[in-house]
This record gives sequence, C-alpha cells and structure tokens, in this order.
Amino acid sequence: MSILELSHVSKHFGDKEVLQDVTFSVPEKCVFGFIGRNGAGKTTTMKSILGLIKTDGGEITICGDKVTYGHNLTNKYIGYLPDVPEFYSYMTPREYLRLCGDVTSMKSSDIKARSDELLKLVGLANENHRIKGFSRGMKQRLGIAQALINRPKLLICDEPTSALDPVGRKEILDILSAAKEQTSVLFSTHILSDVEKICNYIALLEHGNIAVSGTIDDIKSMRSEPAIELSLQNPDYASKIVKAFPSAEKQEGKLIFKNVSANQAEQILSFVAAQHIPIIRFERHEPNLEDMFMEVIGK
Amino acid sequence: MNGFFAFLKKEFFELSRSGKLLIFGFIFVLFGIMNPAVAKLTPWILEQSADSFSQGIVIGEVTVTAMDSWGQFVKNIPMAMIVMMIMFSSTFTGEYSKGTLIPIVTKGLSRNSIVISKTSVMIITWSIGFGLCFGITYGYTAYYWDNSVVNNLAFMAFCWWIMGIFLICVLTLFSAFATSSPQVMAGVGGVYAVMYIMGMFGKIKEYLPTFILNSSSLITEQSKPDDYFNAIMITIALSVLSLLASLPITHKRQL
Repeated sequence: MSILELSHVSKHFGDKEVLQDVTFSVPEKCVFGFIGRNGAGKTTTMKSILGLIKTDGGEITICGDKVTYGHNLTNKYIGYLPDVPEFYSYMTPREYLRLCGDVTSMKSSDIKARSDELLKLVGLANENHRIKGFSRGMKQRLGIAQALINRPKLLICDEPTSALDPVGRKEILDILSAAKEQTSVLFSTHILSDVEKICNYIALLEHGNIAVSGTIDDIKSMRSEPAIELSLQNPDYASKIVKAFPSAEKQEGKLIFKNVSANQAEQILSFVAAQHIPIIRFERHEPNLEDMFMEVIGK
Repeated sequence: MNGFFAFLKKEFFELSRSGKLLIFGFIFVLFGIMNPAVAKLTPWILEQSADSFSQGIVIGEVTVTAMDSWGQFVKNIPMAMIVMMIMFSSTFTGEYSKGTLIPIVTKGLSRNSIVISKTSVMIITWSIGFGLCFGITYGYTAYYWDNSVVNNLAFMAFCWWIMGIFLICVLTLFSAFATSSPQVMAGVGGVYAVMYIMGMFGKIKEYLPTFILNSSSLITEQSKPDDYFNAIMITIALSVLSLLASLPITHKRQL
C-alpha cells in the first residue's frame, strides 16, 4: 500500500505554472528521493502535501485520507523537516520535543523515552543548552528528532543536506537511512550523490511535471549502456582510434565512448591491442543519476 | 484539546523566558504603587513648585483624598494598556515571520487552537496585571485615606478591564493578516482613532467602545453605571466578532 499518493496536482503562482501535472506515490518503508533543480517546485509540492499551500487541481491522499488546505488533520501521519527549520530559541532540545509530544497528545512517559531515543539518534543527547546557540547542522538534526517524535508514517524533509558541510551531510544521510526502519522518508534534494547513497525510489520533477519516477535500479537501467573512458599515453594515436570508431569523443588526452555495449568494448580493446597503442587506463563508467538527470533536463 | 493546553503552556513559558512577564509585572506593580504615591505627594510637589517661582504664588491648603489616588489610576491604566499592546503586537507576527509555527502546525495542531491559546494568554496576563494594579492601588488608598468616598469603584474597574479585552481581540484580528508588529499596532491604533472621531458626532458616541473610557466620571457620580450599558454590550459583541473573524483568516494564511 502507498503511504502518499499525488494525482494530477497542479499549482500556479500568478502567471507562473509551478506544478502542471504531478503524479507519483510513495510506498511504505522506503527512502524516496524527490529530485529537481532549484525552483523546480519541490518545496511547493511538499507544502501542498502538508496542506500549507492551496493547490489548483488534483488530489493528494495520505494513508487514504484526503489532504485539505488550511485543515491539518492528515498531518497526524506526517513528520516534517522544513528546509530552514526554526524552533523556539528559548527552549532546550528536550523542552522543544516535550512541546511537540504534548501537541500530538503523546503520554508524558512516552515523550521522555522517545526524546531520549531520538536525541541519541541525532547526536544531541548531551546538549542541554538553549536552541539559540545552535548551528545550522544541529538545528537540522533537532529538526529530524522533532519530526519523528510521534512515530509518523511519513517523514518529509525539504533539502535537509543542501546547506551543510560534508560531515554534516553524511550525518544527516545516516540518520535518514536509520529512520527508514521506522517510517517512509520523502526527501527533496538537488544533490544526486545523496540520492544514490540512500534512496531506493526516486521521482524527478522538471517543468512542473514528473519526468521520471520508479526504483533507483529501474531508473539507472533506463540509460541504455555504460560509457568507456580511454586514456592514451601518446595523444597522437587519438585520431587513429577516432577513424576506426567515429562515435568516440576527444577530451583532453582522453577518448570517451558513449553507450558502449560489452561487445563494442571488446572491439575497442582488441583494436588498441592489435595496433600496439600504449594506453594508461581503460575504464568503464556505469551510468549514474547525474547522466540521467542531465539527459532529462536536456543539458 | 491536549494540543490547545500544550500550546497555552508554551505561551506562558515564552512570556517567562523572554522576560516579558517580568516587564509586565514591573509595570503593573509600579503603576499600582505610583497611583496613591503621586496623590500622597501632590501637596509636597505643589509646594516645591510654588517656591520655585520668584514672584511667589500662594497655594492654599491642598487636601488629598482617595478620589485623587483613583484619578491617578485612571490616568495611568491607558499607559499600561499601550505598553501591553506594543509587547503583544509581535506575538503572532513574530511566529509567522520566523516560521516557528510550521513544525507545530505540521504536527496537526489546529490553527484555531493557536489563535485561541494566544488570545487566552493575553487576556489572562491583562486580567492578572490589571487585578494587581487595582489591588495595590486599593490597598494603599485604603491605608492612607478612605475608599468609601469613591463611588462605583468596582464597576469603573470592570469598564477598563473590558476595554483591555476589546483591544486584545482587535489585536488578534489584525494579527491574522498583518505581516509585522508595526502593522498590528497601526491597525489597533487605527480602530481606536476611527472610534474616537466617530464619537465626536452626535448620539452615536454612547454606543462606541471608546465611550467606556468616560467611566472615570463614575467615581465622582457625574455619570451612573446605566449610562454605559449600550457601549459595554457593543464592546463585548465587537470583541467576540473580532475573535471569530480572525479564525477563518488565520486558516487561509500561508505559513
């Protein structure tokens, strides 16, 4: 069963059509990467799911319940981490989690146990200072803890890693991976390496539409074949190879062969061996999300 | 309901941690003490100022009574109200501009709970502060003079208290769509100004909330409680309407 379903969702701001026809669904217990360029409409989509923005058309359901703008009933299923989370700066992390627990009608003993567990998970267990002095990374981590406090069925994170340094990013990704055991995670990003690390489903938003969506393996296999990179010891041989294989592209002492089948790769290697061309490296590049991303957005 | 009380608790916590509670306490207690103190010191102040004139002004015997102490109360309470309005003007807009409500609303807390709990906190704070100021003035006045010469004291206090509630409800209404605290203050000030101007024309003034402020004349028996019945009813109705109108506007507000 799907936790979240979006069906033909559209939204415009003035003349700008931000979402045209967005349709996708998020299955249970998965990490769903929601990819798109800056300004593609990722935040608008997420805020629509949360009932914070009024959509113009289409339907959004969470655990079978329809989302209605202005009323937040479906939000009981959701934990949300905004892109720049802001908390009450005069509270300590524990006090803030207590407020979140109280708001969602959790039992006092449960709030205490859950706060301990989550603060440990996000590495803030020994942080008893007020939120006022927290760094951005610490706020993101507290943001994940508050989002998970009431054991939501769906955790929505809006670009949780975008503004963080490599260490902070890795920490957040590890936490999100761990959270997968408890809930489905929908996180938006434009950092494709993050998606490859932790997601098992993705959807790519481009020009207000879902350009591709599916499991990460399906998406990768959509790109037909891997590419071959050949580095030559003597660049003078490059033209000889290009003559035999016209599809090869010269790039700074290297030759790139795109969409190469196993058979073609063998032919290239045999040609190089037969012609006694000295090489430094013969490398096979698996198609990655970045190639797919560039292909879809037409760059 | 749990969410409402959780948010109510948070609001009081915020008042206390931000230091606002201390400032409110200080102001209401200060005014409470100042009212009888200024009345008590009036003869001495007049004597001092008379001496400073080189020509010399003859000031006759000045008799201070409980009436003067309560006269000071009526002068000072609007000041306390203005300070309170300024302090509360950012209670909603501050949260909207910082985005601190987003994590709470996305947890399923209804916006009605937020509006009603914030308004409740303002009303409770005003009521306690007003009660404190009134109680201190009453105590000192009873100590120095005799409160029994003052007429309709409780009713006069009720009129000012109701006026405070009305202003809080108007503040809640403007907070529903304003984007900054100066806008909220301008809205509340604007409503007051419009009523003040309307009050200059004919009989309508007896039906306006601003008419309640004339209730200071109750203590000298220049007016009687019945005169204020219409204005009080209208003020209560407008307060309830302001609060009710703020709910759907807050629902549609983009966070």
